[in-house]
Amino acid sequence: MATTYNEIGAVITVSDAQKLNNIPPYGQRTGWRPKTLDDFGDGGAFPEINMKQYPLDMGRTKQGPSNALAIQVDSQGKIKYDAIARQGHAAGRIVHTSFSDLIPLRQRANIGEINLARPSEEEVAETTAKTKAAFEMIVSGKSKAANAKSITNSKAQEATYIRYTPSNMMGERGDGQHRQRIIKMVDLPEDPMEPPKFRHTKVPRGPPSPPAPLLRSPPRKLTAKDAEDFNIPPSVSKWKNPKGYTIALDKRLAADGRGLEEVKINDNFAKLSEALYAADRHAREEVKQRALLQQKIADQEKEAKEEHLRMLARKVREEREVTARNTSRRSASPRPVRSRSVSRGRSRSRSLSYDSRYGSRSPYDRDSYRARSYERRSYRSNSYSRSRSRTPQSRTGRSRTPRSRTPSPSRYDSRSRSRSYSYSRSPSRSISRSPSRTPRSRSRSYSR
Amino acid sequence: MDPVDQVERLSKRSRDLFGKDYGFALDYNEPISQRIKFSSKLRNEYLAARESLPPHIEAKLPPPSRFSRRDDTTRNEINPILNELIPPPPPPGTLADASTSTAVAIRHGHGPASATDGTPQVAPAQMQLTVQQQRSQFGDGSSRALAERRTNVTQVRPEWHAQWKLMRVISGHLGWVRSVCVEPDNQWFATGAGDRTIKIWDLASGTLKLTLTGHIMTVRGLAVSPRHPYLFSCGEDKMVKCWDLEQNKVIRQYHGHLSGVYSLDLHPNLDVLVTAGRDAVARVWDMRTRMAVHVLSGHKATISSVKCQEADPQVVTGSMDTQVRLWDLAAGKTQTVLTHHKKSVRALTMHPTEFTFASGSADNIKQWKFPEGAFMQNFEPAHNAIVNTLSTNSDGVMFSGGDNGSMAFFDWKSGHKFQETEATVVPGSLDAENGIFASTFDHTGLRLITCEADKSIKVWREDPEATPETHPGIEWKPKIGRQRY
Repeated sequence: MATTYNEIGAVITVSDAQKLNNIPPYGQRTGWRPKTLDDFGDGGAFPEINMKQYPLDMGRTKQGPSNALAIQVDSQGKIKYDAIARQGHAAGRIVHTSFSDLIPLRQRANIGEINLARPSEEEVAETTAKTKAAFEMIVSGKSKAANAKSITNSKAQEATYIRYTPSNMMGERGDGQHRQRIIKMVDLPEDPMEPPKFRHTKVPRGPPSPPAPLLRSPPRKLTAKDAEDFNIPPSVSKWKNPKGYTIALDKRLAADGRGLEEVKINDNFAKLSEALYAADRHAREEVKQRALLQQKIADQEKEAKEEHLRMLARKVREEREVTARNTSRRSASPRPVRSRSVSRGRSRSRSLSYDSRYGSRSPYDRDSYRARSYERRSYRSNSYSRSRSRTPQSRTGRSRTPRSRTPSPSRYDSRSRSRSYSYSRSPSRSISRSPSRTPRSRSRSYSR
Repeated sequence: MDPVDQVERLSKRSRDLFGKDYGFALDYNEPISQRIKFSSKLRNEYLAARESLPPHIEAKLPPPSRFSRRDDTTRNEINPILNELIPPPPPPGTLADASTSTAVAIRHGHGPASATDGTPQVAPAQMQLTVQQQRSQFGDGSSRALAERRTNVTQVRPEWHAQWKLMRVISGHLGWVRSVCVEPDNQWFATGAGDRTIKIWDLASGTLKLTLTGHIMTVRGLAVSPRHPYLFSCGEDKMVKCWDLEQNKVIRQYHGHLSGVYSLDLHPNLDVLVTAGRDAVARVWDMRTRMAVHVLSGHKATISSVKCQEADPQVVTGSMDTQVRLWDLAAGKTQTVLTHHKKSVRALTMHPTEFTFASGSADNIKQWKFPEGAFMQNFEPAHNAIVNTLSTNSDGVMFSGGDNGSMAFFDWKSGHKFQETEATVVPGSLDAENGIFASTFDHTGLRLITCEADKSIKVWREDPEATPETHPGIEWKPKIGRQRY
């Protein structure tokens, strides 16, 4: 090694490698940078050179295995941007990635002639054969697994023999007879009761194959009206509240569906009620009409009866006058009838009515009865019954006025009669009753 | 709308409807018209293709010539009135502006600025493109649009079909009729209902032949095998049963579903059946050994419909997570996922002769092409109901039955709805009991059998006296303007 001196007189030692690679010696490296691995020679990094140095390529931070796809270019020089969509699929997979896949076939530019014929018989036969063969393999494998007779594989347990010819026997030539060896290979016998030797660890699934590109427009945005139409309020029970939540009333009723359903009532309900109302009105009118009519008839009868009575009274008066004249000529004698009638006072007309009842089998039987009963009623209803009904005493007992109470089951009397009236029958009347045809019976026969 | 715009639209429509039949009256100068014809044809065919060329190749070609002045002056000479009425199509290079229409795609190249002028300016060299159009094009006229559409798309005219009318009502079930299947010889059909029975009816007369009991919950799916004397049924009680039709009893059960099984289909070539239901998986069963060969998982919600076919993809499932999946049966894996629908897909139907299928959901009924599951079209105008069932005819009639009893009939090729009716309930039922759960055409395609919520089965047929003049059906108009998908 030649000794050399630098500018300030220091001795510089130069190694072989330095010399070989023209590495500038220490002190003369100001503008120099090591560019290749050889520039480091057999030494290390140069501390005075201010750059990252990796002598012997040591110390670099390694880039891990990356999943990035390298950019690929197709035969026409265009970059294959759909390599991402085709990643992970087999080569035969068809992935529709371009906009032209969205255009109807007959409107695509570069399509040429469209052939819609079904594939020929040969192609079909070929496909069928290929599929069938694939299926056979799968099915036979599965059926063998399903039908396996024994757990041991008898073929594997038999011995195999191997003829081995060693070469280069470490200097030892050996005799000609022992140049070859026969080796018997036997499977190690497996203990059938031994538990499994290895643990099966579960490996998490790898990423799925990339999803197919969506060749459709994104779903339309919801309008506020649509969202409202499909709004379903949460179901809040009207009956159960197990956790005791306090929920506002409008939320309790929200799922009720009140506002949604239109309650339709059948028309027939209205028709029915109208018909009932009409019938009721009709019936009431009829009843009123009937009552009026009956009242009119009764009035007429009453008039007739009164006339008749007046006539009778006149006749009687005349007779009396005549007899009185006669008796006054002969002598003055009492009149039993009159006295009786006088003593009876209020019931004068009644006594008359009784007499007329018993006396006459007149053609006015019915009418006479009616008149009588009406009279009774009229007396009672017009003057006496009113007064009687108003006074509290009149309502109480039947013992009050046995005479006055005449049970009469006539039609138009039923309303005006109170219950207390129905029971009384004056015993006096029963005496005076004629045996054969009592007015009761008669009235009974009529009133129904 | 501006009267000029209105006239433009009307003229566009008439051009599209009748242009093919009459053409323009170019009977003046034969060579000129021939030249125009050829040049326009070439441009139409190949100028669009030019855009799909890689840019480094396209740079080598000369830039596309717009309409040369020569062409337009001849056009002007020939028929100035016609020229004013029907504007020329734009050069195929100008594309893809939000205001330009593409479905019929015959539109004046000028932007809205020129609409205010009285007469359209035709000279293309002085064509003032709107700022948007300029932005959507490169300097040399090729388009920068992400998806290029054809400019001259002619819409498919719908074929006329006779109107469908009710022919027969069959009552007999005591619960909602949920499933139906016609036997391969077209003699009888079987229906499964909510009264847990399967009833077999004579197709010609509608009389009951047989009742099979065995399920303990609603029978949701039925299939008669064309290759064995078996009837397969599945129900909400997780059972999948195989009935022997010679003995009329259950001979096999397939055990493994974790929840109700809603749909069932048989493979046409293999002895395999596929069932799917509420557990979001489709199970593929080997018929003989009763083993589940594959469990096709991937859906995230109930699978409402499953269909099998003989070519790849052999199984199609539609589910209530709005996805339609096409499966590779040999591997037991999904081949494609179709995510175009917005609502649950409740119905699937395969076309008997074409390699296409349709899926129905409440937002749309969409038509797709096999094997890659390319979207073909929407069936317009939409059937605004929850579509429970779809069936297709070999005549190209597709029926969709709704949950509210509405029925719609579509022409398959064009996607046009030509009839919409509402089923009437059987007397004694409430109006709310109007709904169609299942349907099928018989094997001739002349009769449609629908299974309804008023416990009846209705048989429909085409009106024999209908003609295109007397019963034209719902009117079809070609669409102008860009559509949204």
